[in-house]
Amino acid sequence: MSRLAALKNDMEGCSRCSLCKWIPMAQIKSWRFAKVCPSVDRYNFHAFSGGGKMIIANSILEGRSELNEAISEIIYKCQLCGACQVSCQAYRDDIDLADVLLALRAKCVEEGLILPEHQFMIDSMKREDNTLGMQKCDRGKWADGLDLVDVNTQEVDVLFHAGCRFSYDEDLRDSVRNWVVLLRNSGADVGIAGKEEACCGGRAFEIGYQGEMRNYAEDMASRVRASGAKLLVTPCSDCYYTFKYLYPKNGLDLGVKILHTTEYADSLIKENKLRPKKNVPMRVTYHDPCHLGRRGEIYKSGWSGDNKLLRPVKFKQTGNMGIFDPPRNIINSIPGMDFVEMERIREYSWCCGAGGGVYEAYPEFASWTAKDRIVEAKATGAEAIVTACPWCERVFNDEIEESGEDMKVYDVIDILAMSMEGK
Amino acid sequence: MGNKENIARIVGNDRIITDKEALERYGSDSSFVLGEVPEFIVKLRNLEEVQKLVMLANEDGFALIPCSSQGRRFKGDTVPGVPGAVIADLSEMKSIVRIDKRNKVAMIEPGVTFGDLQAAVEKEGLRVEMPLHPKKTKSVVASLLDREPTTGPKYNWDATDPLGCLELIFGNGEMFRTGNAAGPGTLEEQWAAGQAQKMPMGPAQTDIARLIQGSQGAFAIATWATIKLELMHKIRKGFFVAGQSPDELIDFTYKILWRKIPDLCLILNGADLAAIYGKDSTDMPPWVLIYSISGLDHFPEERVRYLEDDLGEIAREFAVTPTQHIEGISAIKLMDVICRPSDEPFWKLRLKGGCVDLFFLTTLDRTSEFIEVMDIQIAEYGLPKENLGIYIQPIRHGTGCHIEFSLMYDPENSEETERVKALLNSASRACIDKGGFFSRPYGAWADMIYKKCPDTANALKKMKDIFDPNGILNPGKLCFGKGVRA
Amino acid sequence: MKLLPKDMYGELENVLGENNISQEPGVLDGYAWQPIFSLTAQKWIPRPAAVALPETTEDVQAIVKICNKYGVKFKAHSTGWAAWGGPSEEGELQIDLRRMNKIIELDEKNKYAVVEPYVCCGQLQAEAMKVGLNCHIIGAGPNTSILASTTSGWGYGGTGLSTGYGGRNPLGVEWVLPDGEVLKLGSPGCNAGWFSGDGPGPGLRGIMRGFSGTQGSLGVFTKCAIKLYPWYGPKEPKVDGVLMDVQTEVPETEKMFWIVAPSFEKFADLAYKIGNAEIAYWFCRSPLNAGIDLFIPRAGDRIFESKALRTMFKAFEHLGVALLSSESKREVEYQEKVLRKITLETGCILLDLTKTPGYGFWWWTMGVRSILTALTFRAGGDFLTSYGSPMEYDNAIKQAEVAMKVKQKFIDEDYFKDDMSDIGWGGIYEGTANWGHCETAAMFDRRDGRAEGRQRYLEESAESTVEHTLGLGLSNLPPGAWKIYGPKLFNYHLWQAKIKKAFDPNSTGDEEWYVPSIDEIQT
Repeated sequence: MSRLAALKNDMEGCSRCSLCKWIPMAQIKSWRFAKVCPSVDRYNFHAFSGGGKMIIANSILEGRSELNEAISEIIYKCQLCGACQVSCQAYRDDIDLADVLLALRAKCVEEGLILPEHQFMIDSMKREDNTLGMQKCDRGKWADGLDLVDVNTQEVDVLFHAGCRFSYDEDLRDSVRNWVVLLRNSGADVGIAGKEEACCGGRAFEIGYQGEMRNYAEDMASRVRASGAKLLVTPCSDCYYTFKYLYPKNGLDLGVKILHTTEYADSLIKENKLRPKKNVPMRVTYHDPCHLGRRGEIYKSGWSGDNKLLRPVKFKQTGNMGIFDPPRNIINSIPGMDFVEMERIREYSWCCGAGGGVYEAYPEFASWTAKDRIVEAKATGAEAIVTACPWCERVFNDEIEESGEDMKVYDVIDILAMSMEGK
Repeated sequence: MGNKENIARIVGNDRIITDKEALERYGSDSSFVLGEVPEFIVKLRNLEEVQKLVMLANEDGFALIPCSSQGRRFKGDTVPGVPGAVIADLSEMKSIVRIDKRNKVAMIEPGVTFGDLQAAVEKEGLRVEMPLHPKKTKSVVASLLDREPTTGPKYNWDATDPLGCLELIFGNGEMFRTGNAAGPGTLEEQWAAGQAQKMPMGPAQTDIARLIQGSQGAFAIATWATIKLELMHKIRKGFFVAGQSPDELIDFTYKILWRKIPDLCLILNGADLAAIYGKDSTDMPPWVLIYSISGLDHFPEERVRYLEDDLGEIAREFAVTPTQHIEGISAIKLMDVICRPSDEPFWKLRLKGGCVDLFFLTTLDRTSEFIEVMDIQIAEYGLPKENLGIYIQPIRHGTGCHIEFSLMYDPENSEETERVKALLNSASRACIDKGGFFSRPYGAWADMIYKKCPDTANALKKMKDIFDPNGILNPGKLCFGKGVRA
Repeated sequence: MKLLPKDMYGELENVLGENNISQEPGVLDGYAWQPIFSLTAQKWIPRPAAVALPETTEDVQAIVKICNKYGVKFKAHSTGWAAWGGPSEEGELQIDLRRMNKIIELDEKNKYAVVEPYVCCGQLQAEAMKVGLNCHIIGAGPNTSILASTTSGWGYGGTGLSTGYGGRNPLGVEWVLPDGEVLKLGSPGCNAGWFSGDGPGPGLRGIMRGFSGTQGSLGVFTKCAIKLYPWYGPKEPKVDGVLMDVQTEVPETEKMFWIVAPSFEKFADLAYKIGNAEIAYWFCRSPLNAGIDLFIPRAGDRIFESKALRTMFKAFEHLGVALLSSESKREVEYQEKVLRKITLETGCILLDLTKTPGYGFWWWTMGVRSILTALTFRAGGDFLTSYGSPMEYDNAIKQAEVAMKVKQKFIDEDYFKDDMSDIGWGGIYEGTANWGHCETAAMFDRRDGRAEGRQRYLEESAESTVEHTLGLGLSNLPPGAWKIYGPKLFNYHLWQAKIKKAFDPNSTGDEEWYVPSIDEIQT
């Protein structure tokens, strides 16, 4: 049975309530910021919503319509942010919306309906082990001058995985460097793979190349094993989601503890090993990256069966076990910081716009999505939007540059660094 | 034109009035509506007679003007617009068919007056939400069908309130019942199942009762109506808040309505207050908000006490001073007066002998604008201020208000009468232009307002063609033509 | 698949732009999947020939006129939840009003808001609360369109005691008729604002809807002024959680109670007294056993197998939930005193929820935001509802009693989940009015393909409303119900059919959920 066919019961369970278009009803605080699905908000036809895509899937399975270019465009115009699943699963136990969306991507690839931009990413991965069309040999350059341990030659306790975006994006260089230095300064025996680091493969999975991710996962696993590390830390939310959710969901186990850098820093602060001291008087808000927040929730293994109505609630991927508090704890630990929340936060956060291959294939849609988030940030009175994902930072920066909006974008490490005496 | 013999076959000869004086009394009323003297007045007794008369009117092609109230009329809606009309007089259908104490509803025939009804329901510990001090002979059913505002905005949820259900004969002679009275089941079966014909919606996807209200008898004749009732208070206290202008009272009014505190709640100017009490308006405060609070079945004194305490706080917040007496008038006594039908002469006629009203709907925060318009108008037409009564009635929980200007004049003075007629015309136009919503367009207002909403007029004409295809019911009213077809 | 006439699509494209019209089959199926109240064995309702996304009233007019020109039927929906939102036959145009989503005006003093079709109840409530107001949220939940339920649906809701019934809350309305002309009901038609919906003269709101609406069969409503009601709670409550994990602080002037009556009759007595006493922000029946399938559906099967537990739940069958709410502490104290007295007078038991952990959850999700009803999908993925005719409350409660017996037969035949049958939900409306409703839902999994039995249940429930004189209620819901009920209720269907003809001379508005034109009935 195909991946899609295996989810037919989920599709058939949809009642067309359209809750997948809204933040959970309990959380609506205004007319303006009540919506949660960028796809249907932008393109309006029901087909663009999470529920609408499930109907498309069912329609294809039943031979009522075919998967063609127009339909594949609907499937691809989606950041796979997972907000629809959160809203749906607030009520429903028997529908795994996100799985259907991912299966639809795989189906598109199987049918040869591939976007050239996605093809570019896959080709780049195959050739150069990254999604950005950059050269593999340049991957470790972000760490130049830091004199970090090379795990290809030496075993370490902690393997720091930068991820593709942080490895190559020069605008974000300070952030990734500050993260790894923070780890080192905390006394961690940390190392990096440098140019031997490769893509986690998560993006490949999302754009429908599920088999490709497996290749990268196996590569990652062997690298982790070889490094001797007991702990894998990454500053990239996409990689985090891939390690914590996609790998185990697909039967892949890295065999080590996995933390996002914000979790790591949060524990340091709790243990009093990290003491932000300098006053940073700034009003900020925090953007929950989808892949760190709701999608960063660990894969809840342990149940199998045909009838999800019988699945215990604890196995639902509701998204509430994602990483929400550590970044907030860090912000709140910084003296002088005036932290205000947006309306759409935590597991019902509005997507930055970059995920699911949208940044690459539909930049205007990504930008439109980011703009909505920046408007929401501005509505809090914040001067800066802080986040914990390089893809969010990239797309926010692009949009702000384009629009000239007066809003700064920081990674959590950036404001932490401002508050640390010395560096 | 109606044929007396044919009509006599329905009601009997002695129920047909041809007395010239009696007929002439229907040919005009205290409005300035010009019309025709009817051919006959037919005194109807029951549903069957009503239905037969309507069917006869269709066969023979004469106009029928339903009329339930007796005595002097003020709005022109029962003045025949065409010659040869027959007055369908329902005033002797005076049965209070049923009072359901548990469901607080009464079923009444069209001839029942507020006084009749009030006396009957009070015996059951209930009371009637009624318009302000209505005329003694006013039919309750007519008032409901006119959508007359009642004095308790808290109990007024929708424009149709306090109407429940209706039993009707449409202009084509077919019978209908609205709301849950429509069925399934006979009335007796419904009563046995715990129903009381109080729920006004439907049946199904149409609120026919809503169409009949405001139609000035042009769609159907009602043979009974149900009216929702309220519990009689165990204790009631009345209050005044006086002001130099309504603006001083409006915000406080909005707040107490938001809190759902007052039962009765309305604003009168000094002239209206004086007219009710037969006093000189110069003795009255220019404006007064009148409201009541009450204790019901459970801990009535405690209820009144906490409401007074809360009102005290609100009054301080809005810098107003509620009192229970004003210029020698006790609020509670005033309420006893205005919550009952007026003695003769009707209170609006006491000052000068004549009165014509200009009323429409607006919102409380706009009332000053319209008062300003009227001030200019009366100055232009030489009506003294003390002859202008103003009544502001919050409706529908305060989401809107009825504003009523009473132009009191001496009808024996032909010059004054002409001036007031011209004033009414001019002021009506001015208020429409200012955005007053003339939801009950009597007389000349009909033309004025339907010019503003031709889409509504078109839609209503379609309704007229459905419910009264031959145009026999009250032709020429609202936006309907005068043609009567056999 | 039936397409639109050749040139029609082009004309629509010219009006809307190519991005706002589609005839792509996969997109159209997004409008053909309407499992709620699709009572046939078919899983899909007819697929539209195209779907159009208007942004303005002028767009809607143009679309409707084009439909008239080409003789193509249309059906419009707002949020589009349920089969009545979609076409009843192939070849129709679906109008999706999603782009018309603004709150145009919110008048704090005069307590109304003017909204477009795609404003959901949750959005309006959130904005209204900021200025001390509340809107009526229907039982289906805050994700529904407030305009749709007010102009075209029913209007039941748990807060009815304070927020009325949906169908009695419209004020001014802007309506694109099936011939494409615009009719403005009430004050907006005379440029007098939006605050009033009836007149001049007769109330044309009466043809827009009765206790139920025409479900889009008489055109498209593009704006509606909605009556709002006082809200005494916090203006911007701080709520954590998404649903089951909701927590919030509740002010002491918001007090919620469970009151358990020993019988249907005593429950009715309780309701009458509460209404007459002019207390409570709302009062709604909600048997405890109903909560099992909402909150722990997987345990439901086990729990209801136990005779001992069934007995226990039976004791809590006639459970009413009351919320007291005021700006004034004195008022809440007084109301509580009265409520306790009424409880004693009627032989009931009162439980004070304010003392329980998780009170905030109940207050917010059930009491204020009306979210919980959608949990009816948890047990089986689907549910239907019936009875629930708005009636004097003695009769409303009788409906629950009759429903219980009829539904039980179908539980025994395994068409519905066993939930002890009586989950009659509904409360009293409009303060002292003494009328209310009590509808009885039933849960099932439509994926088992046994739609025939559920159809039979609806037919039998409709028959029982006639037999026991229980009004129309939700049993008049299915298409064609007018054939059964019309002749019993003074041929209301013929009057409606004449109205249909008068306003829709070309029969362009899909009439499936209303009545056809009089010409079609009489031929």
